[in-house]
Amino acid sequence: MKTNWNHIKGYVRLEIIGQDSSSFINTCLQSDIQIWDIQPLDHNRVLVSISISDLRKAKAILKENKLKIRIKEKKGTPFLLKKMWKRNGFILGMAAFIFVLFLLSNMIWNINVTGANPKTEYELRKAAVEIGVTKGKFIFLLPNVREIQRQLTEKMDNVTWIGVTQHGTSYRLEVVEKEIPEAKPITGPRHLVATKEAVIHSVFVEKGQPIVGVNDYVKKGSLLVSGLIGKEKKPQLVSAKGKIWGEVWYQTEVEVPLNTSFQTYTGKYKNRHYVSLFGLNLPVYGFSDGEFKDKTETLNETPLYLAKWKMPFSYIKKEVRETDGVKRSYTKAEAIEVGKKMAKKELGKKLPEDAKIKGEKVWQQNVSNGKVKLTMLYQVIENIASEQPIPIQQGE
Amino acid sequence: MGKLRQQVNKWMMQNLELPADVVMDLPRITMIGQLHIYIENHRGVKAFSNEQLTLKLKQGTLVIKGSEFVIKTILPEEILLEGTISSVDFGKE
Repeated sequence: MKTNWNHIKGYVRLEIIGQDSSSFINTCLQSDIQIWDIQPLDHNRVLVSISISDLRKAKAILKENKLKIRIKEKKGTPFLLKKMWKRNGFILGMAAFIFVLFLLSNMIWNINVTGANPKTEYELRKAAVEIGVTKGKFIFLLPNVREIQRQLTEKMDNVTWIGVTQHGTSYRLEVVEKEIPEAKPITGPRHLVATKEAVIHSVFVEKGQPIVGVNDYVKKGSLLVSGLIGKEKKPQLVSAKGKIWGEVWYQTEVEVPLNTSFQTYTGKYKNRHYVSLFGLNLPVYGFSDGEFKDKTETLNETPLYLAKWKMPFSYIKKEVRETDGVKRSYTKAEAIEVGKKMAKKELGKKLPEDAKIKGEKVWQQNVSNGKVKLTMLYQVIENIASEQPIPIQQGE
Repeated sequence: MGKLRQQVNKWMMQNLELPADVVMDLPRITMIGQLHIYIENHRGVKAFSNEQLTLKLKQGTLVIKGSEFVIKTILPEEILLEGTISSVDFGKE
């Protein structure tokens, strides 16, 4: 054990030349200088090991005793380091190699796109470049996979979903494209029929024979514009085209609780940074949790790779956001007002874009179990026409 | 005075079952075959060569003879000698 320690500190093998070597040994013992491996070579030469920290003191004693010394060997870490430093190019090369390997294995080498047609793929690659996902970028400088996926999905309009997965140094982008149905070219003769029960508000016919007039009541599926025009004896088939605006009634039910409690972010947040070593998180920057009363925490982990192996250390960013419990309570009148807005919004989702809401009416309202229940009626003017092809009869 | 003290020490050793090396300041010598010799309670090196090591003791000397001697460790009161040991002698002086 002691020899090992001496090895770390470093020691020298000294050759002591002179008659009286045993007195030197005794002096060393008295003045607390450690010597070991004492090996007599012949009658006036002795080989001795001495630690480099004691060498100066030993030299003084040797001078007093009029003994000569010769350093035979230098052993231990300090000398080894010195020797290694002489070959520093070698060590630097090794360090540089590991460093380069480390950098290269944390770089994007490949981006694969699957499931996209060439046009979408081109757009997707362009969007990825804008985010910074390109060949040669360092993975640890990029946002994590979840974030990239979110940003890409936001940027791309004509795709339903983008899946981003990271396999070592390559990213795989899986794309599910939106299938936009192609607009059917207008072909063949057809009628226009009502899609729902309505009272006709106005009629614009481009082609065809209008059957209904304003203020007529129509049922679902009843004929609005006929594709048969011309004289009764000699009918001509055309593709009826036009817009029939009908007044349709919608009924919507909404429930508004009078008291609700929910959580909101106050906007205050703290970031904490960690370096994770073998699963142990060491804080690097940001030491307080912000002393928030209520908070939510999210963890973002960025692992580092050496070649294909995940290193046992990674960088972790912890976001601590302050949350606030908010209680909201409505009076009955307020609840009805909110309910009306909600109902209208709800209705807006169901209606086509060109529909207009003409009027609204509260049909029923009651308060029970701390909730306001509303049944709303809406008068909506919308296009009720839909095409129905006329079957061509054989032999006519 | 010295004589009396020696008498007391001897008596203590025999009647109180105390180890002799502690009470009387004698060397404790441990040998492992011919390879090692370990001496505690010495008083310094008197002479050292390849074939002979002479140690000072409180009373007299200890002469170890053999060949290829190397002092592996030496501390103020302990010494570990390696080599081929052929004899251990106590000398007066």
